Amino acid sequence: MTRVVEVPPSFDDRSFEQFAAGFGAWPPEERILVDARGTQWASPYGLVGLLTAGQALAEAGRERPLLTVPQSEDVKRYWARTGFFSHAAGLFEIHGKVPRAVATGPSDVLLDVTPVRASEDVHEVVGRIGENAARIMSGELGLEAKSSVGFSMALSESCTNIVEHAGTGGWVAVQAYTFRRRLGRRVVVIAVSDAGIGFRRSLESAHARRFGDRWGDATALEAALIQNVSRFRDPGRGQGFAGIKRYLSRWQGKISIRSGTARLAVVPPWDDDLPLADQLPFFPGAQVQITIPAQHSEPA
Amino acid sequence: MIPTICLRRVLHEAVITPYRNLVTRATGAAVRGRIEAALERLGCEVAVLDFSGVEILDFSCADEIVAKLVLPAARPSRPVVLLGVRDEQREALDHVLAHHGVAVTARLHESGEPVLLGAATPDLHEAFAALRARGAALDDFARLPIS
Repeated sequence: MTRVVEVPPSFDDRSFEQFAAGFGAWPPEERILVDARGTQWASPYGLVGLLTAGQALAEAGRERPLLTVPQSEDVKRYWARTGFFSHAAGLFEIHGKVPRAVATGPSDVLLDVTPVRASEDVHEVVGRIGENAARIMSGELGLEAKSSVGFSMALSESCTNIVEHAGTGGWVAVQAYTFRRRLGRRVVVIAVSDAGIGFRRSLESAHARRFGDRWGDATALEAALIQNVSRFRDPGRGQGFAGIKRYLSRWQGKISIRSGTARLAVVPPWDDDLPLADQLPFFPGAQVQITIPAQHSEPA
Repeated sequence: MIPTICLRRVLHEAVITPYRNLVTRATGAAVRGRIEAALERLGCEVAVLDFSGVEILDFSCADEIVAKLVLPAARPSRPVVLLGVRDEQREALDHVLAHHGVAVTARLHESGEPVLLGAATPDLHEAFAALRARGAALDDFARLPIS
């Protein structure tokens, strides 16, 4: 038996729930076919989420899932350009013709889809983003030049979260695009996703007792993102998310974290997202999205 | 004369990368280990750390290097003085030190001006201002009670 999981036509952090629901009980018993034929656009969150699904199925010992590539040539070219297909080839049996990845000078892809497994990978990611970040942050978003340093810090802390807590590897991608629907401005988005143990299991031994019956994915996210707690007893731990929030508050940025069956966000005034969504379809690991908007609207 | 430890050089010795960024806890712990070994070898009680040439400093690394040097696990607090601190790094340092309720003196990269970073009591602020007013040397700042 094969279960078909459809990739939404516009695949971002909101439509991700539709994708996650497609897997049913986790891990699914049937072989999975991820059908991206009708996909017209995917955010970096969508792309790293797709890879996470493939990775989690492999780590759960399930049969190698199938992936049918988008029909749109533009979408395929873009996914190739981000490096998505080269990583997907190791996790999925790919059906459909995949174009070769061709870099064509400066683009909106600030950081290709990149695996994160160890501290050295975080150095690599932060080193590679350097000049691109400065170009986009001050050039396109109208932020002061030194904001790119805080941006690199946020990127580093969100990737470090994988290395320190996930118990397995993950993925990161960074992209700039125009956020027409909710904001009408350019944004830079960092998307980080792992197939690991998730926030609830990571924090359980140190913090579950304090929350009693309330303990679950949502309370674990609240403990990490709002109360800055960590699974480590070291009193210096848990400052990474505090640093990210501090940076984002200055630029009206947004952070959302999805783990297990819950999603928690620090929502800026320009967005209408729910701060907390609980009882979502289960999805493995943790998915973090950080959004930094331009300071001025684009001309209509 | 207190010897100055160049963090960029220590970073290159601690991790084999061409990057100039102090990021991740693992890197911070490796760098701090080398700093502690150097202080031991030189017989120094005071750590003077030079941030010149370091670009990104994240909160985890700032905590692992500076906060843990100030508050070593099994010893009383150690005086630490920072040099060449850029504005963007100042925020991470200030935050992690305040989190632990300690302060250090830093000389800023842009202006060369000495500042207090972290959680400073009114008495510490007063003592710091007095030293600054008379153009005190680094050794004098290092003697300020930091926690």
